[in-house]
Amino acid sequence: MTKLRPRFSRKLLAIPYALFLAIFVVVPLLIIVYYAFTDADGSFTFDNIAMFFSGSGSDSFFESAQFKTIMQSLFISFMSTLICLLIAYPVAYIIATCKLKNKSGLLLLFIVPMWVNFVLRVNALKELLDWIGIYNKSNGWNLFNTILGMVYDFLPFMILPIYTTIIKIDKSYLEAARDLGAGGAKTFLKVTLPLSKAGIMSGVSMVFLPSMTNYVVSNYMTFNHTKIIGSFIDECFKNDLWNMGSVTALLLLTLMFFMTWATGGFNAQEDAGRRGTSLW
Amino acid sequence: MDKNQSKIIELIDVCKEFDGVSVVENMNLYVHKGEFVTFLGPSGCGKTTTLRMIAGFEMPTSGQILLNGKDISNLPPNKRPVNTVFQKYALFPHLNVFENVAFGLKLQRVEKTYTDKKGRVKNKLERLPDSVIAEKVKNALEIVDLTGFEKRSVSTLSGGQQQRIAIARAIVNEPEILLLDEPLGALDLKMRKEMQLELKAMHKRLGITFIYVTHDQEEALTMSDTIVVMSDGSIQQIGTPEEIYNEPKNTFVADFIGESNIFSGVMAKDYEVRFCGKAFECVDKDFEQNEPVDVVVRPEDVKIKAADAGQLKGKVTSVIFKGIHYQILVQCGRYEIEIQSTSAPEVGDTVGLVIKPNGIHVMKKKFRVNKFSGVITKRNTVEFGDGEFECDVTQLYPGSHLDEEGYLITAKGEKLDLTDTEVNVEVGLHDITMSDNEDEGGAQGNIISLIYKSEYYRYIVRTENEEDYVLACEDLWNENDRVSLIIPKDKIKLTLKVAEGKKV
Repeated sequence: MTKLRPRFSRKLLAIPYALFLAIFVVVPLLIIVYYAFTDADGSFTFDNIAMFFSGSGSDSFFESAQFKTIMQSLFISFMSTLICLLIAYPVAYIIATCKLKNKSGLLLLFIVPMWVNFVLRVNALKELLDWIGIYNKSNGWNLFNTILGMVYDFLPFMILPIYTTIIKIDKSYLEAARDLGAGGAKTFLKVTLPLSKAGIMSGVSMVFLPSMTNYVVSNYMTFNHTKIIGSFIDECFKNDLWNMGSVTALLLLTLMFFMTWATGGFNAQEDAGRRGTSLW
Repeated sequence: MDKNQSKIIELIDVCKEFDGVSVVENMNLYVHKGEFVTFLGPSGCGKTTTLRMIAGFEMPTSGQILLNGKDISNLPPNKRPVNTVFQKYALFPHLNVFENVAFGLKLQRVEKTYTDKKGRVKNKLERLPDSVIAEKVKNALEIVDLTGFEKRSVSTLSGGQQQRIAIARAIVNEPEILLLDEPLGALDLKMRKEMQLELKAMHKRLGITFIYVTHDQEEALTMSDTIVVMSDGSIQQIGTPEEIYNEPKNTFVADFIGESNIFSGVMAKDYEVRFCGKAFECVDKDFEQNEPVDVVVRPEDVKIKAADAGQLKGKVTSVIFKGIHYQILVQCGRYEIEIQSTSAPEVGDTVGLVIKPNGIHVMKKKFRVNKFSGVITKRNTVEFGDGEFECDVTQLYPGSHLDEEGYLITAKGEKLDLTDTEVNVEVGLHDITMSDNEDEGGAQGNIISLIYKSEYYRYIVRTENEEDYVLACEDLWNENDRVSLIIPKDKIKLTLKVAEGKKV
């Protein structure tokens, strides 16, 4: 076919996003890669990675500050995610299955706090903790406060995807389970819970990954005492250690990639991705 | 039907309302053990709701459901020895075929007696051993002809296969009753026919009571031992497929089951019914004399003869080949009669029609209104029932009005000529009055019947061309009185037969 005149196609609508993606995601990523594998003079090296894993002075890597920060980050993320899940699932389940007509209104109660500026909220929480008297009291309390801040901040991100999957579960599955002899609890465990797995996984990834790096919360809640991997990167760049900062960022990226892959996060959206997977 | 068979399930005065709207009304029904019962009716007739009440997904608003004589009305579904095959299968998408079928088995607990260390005999509930589950699943898959599908994911199966798995999942639990809610609705025609026969064979083999819900009358006739025809939340008729087809109790059943010609008639005397302007011999009796009745004639019970050899005479207007037979329409005066025959006359032929006595089904009329077929005249009056009456034609099109020339202007501004438009006419029993002034009314006839109904007399007035009007009047007239019938303009209810009038 000879079509000389260029025709408008829906594909053209993807150009703005593609440009955005290139300028703000791909290019910065390449810059990070560049800094991670070069030294101060700009020549190629693996020294930065070696340095990250070598530890400082006589201490081995497992005693180094980086390692402790990573472990602390993982611990905070894990606890925040777990607590979020334990709070969010019942909330999402109750809202999705209640007989109320105005479910979205109820859901709004949990989302409205998100509309208040995030720094403002964290600050308010800090003041509250200060008033109670557990602010910056000890390392234990600092850890507790950080997790509290993360849960407070990320809870809606856990509720929403879980709510969405539960409300989409076809009632006939539940009826079928009851019909086959399952009581209320068994029906929940054998049908509702497995069928809401996708929502749980997407909630987990929306909470776990950001709480690894959201150092604003940890800084505010602990007067800069509790370090997470985000704060470590931040300090590197602030102290002109661009190479070290880039390596850490890159390693974090790799870690997250593997964790998402391991928990099946890429498969969770399988159904959603079936349409429009091939953009070009 | 063997009356000694035990009733497995019985519904007593069951009613169900949703938000104050009655869906099932005073349902009384029982099902024998091992029967294949079908609830048949159009959508919204309450058949699925009834099934769901038996399954336990809905609780009756009032009334009782007895299973083997015990009230189970308020028992949750998981405590009932009943399993359901759902309309959309409802196979668990997170489980494979084996796990789906084994779902119910894994939840079963069998009581086991054992002796503990101190020698005491105790009972405990135990899960079925895995080997037993595997064996049962295998058997169930064999029954539905899907051996070897255990490991398959449900989403990789075709509609028909999913259907079979849904059946396997239900029968593997050996329920006392298997409920099937339009299970074949999503399958294509050929597949559906196959599954119908398979289900029937399965029913014979398993000996379980099947309760089946469908809106497909052919499906019901093919599979069932007993059909329960439902409409508007109540039972219209219960019977074997033959009874339902051959002896429909009312015009709804006749119309819903198979093709039928339905006529308004009058029972002249025992074994004689008048319709289409002729008297026919029939097999029915014990009606009041001249009682208005509905007459149902199946298309295959009308025989085509030579023009002068029939009881009715008419002109063939349409012949359509339907595969096994021809569908023939014959116009006999104002009546159109549908006929099924293996040989076909030519369109335009004049033929005679014969209906044998046992092909005529007479049923009591639930009399509410006089119904006629009518035609709008040039003067915007309506001709029906052997007369001509003034009427309000603007009711045919909401928001319309007449212009000075007598054309109808619709709400959208379209100009219509209603001349010769065919309409359905309804006139209430109490809206007709009689006069002995011949010219006062729109139609004239003789009173052929009067029945005293405590508050009024019910009269039947027959015109010269055998049209009957039924009317109520408090005054006493005599039989055979010649009367003129008056119907006020606003009491004549018109509806269009075909959607459109002629455009000018």
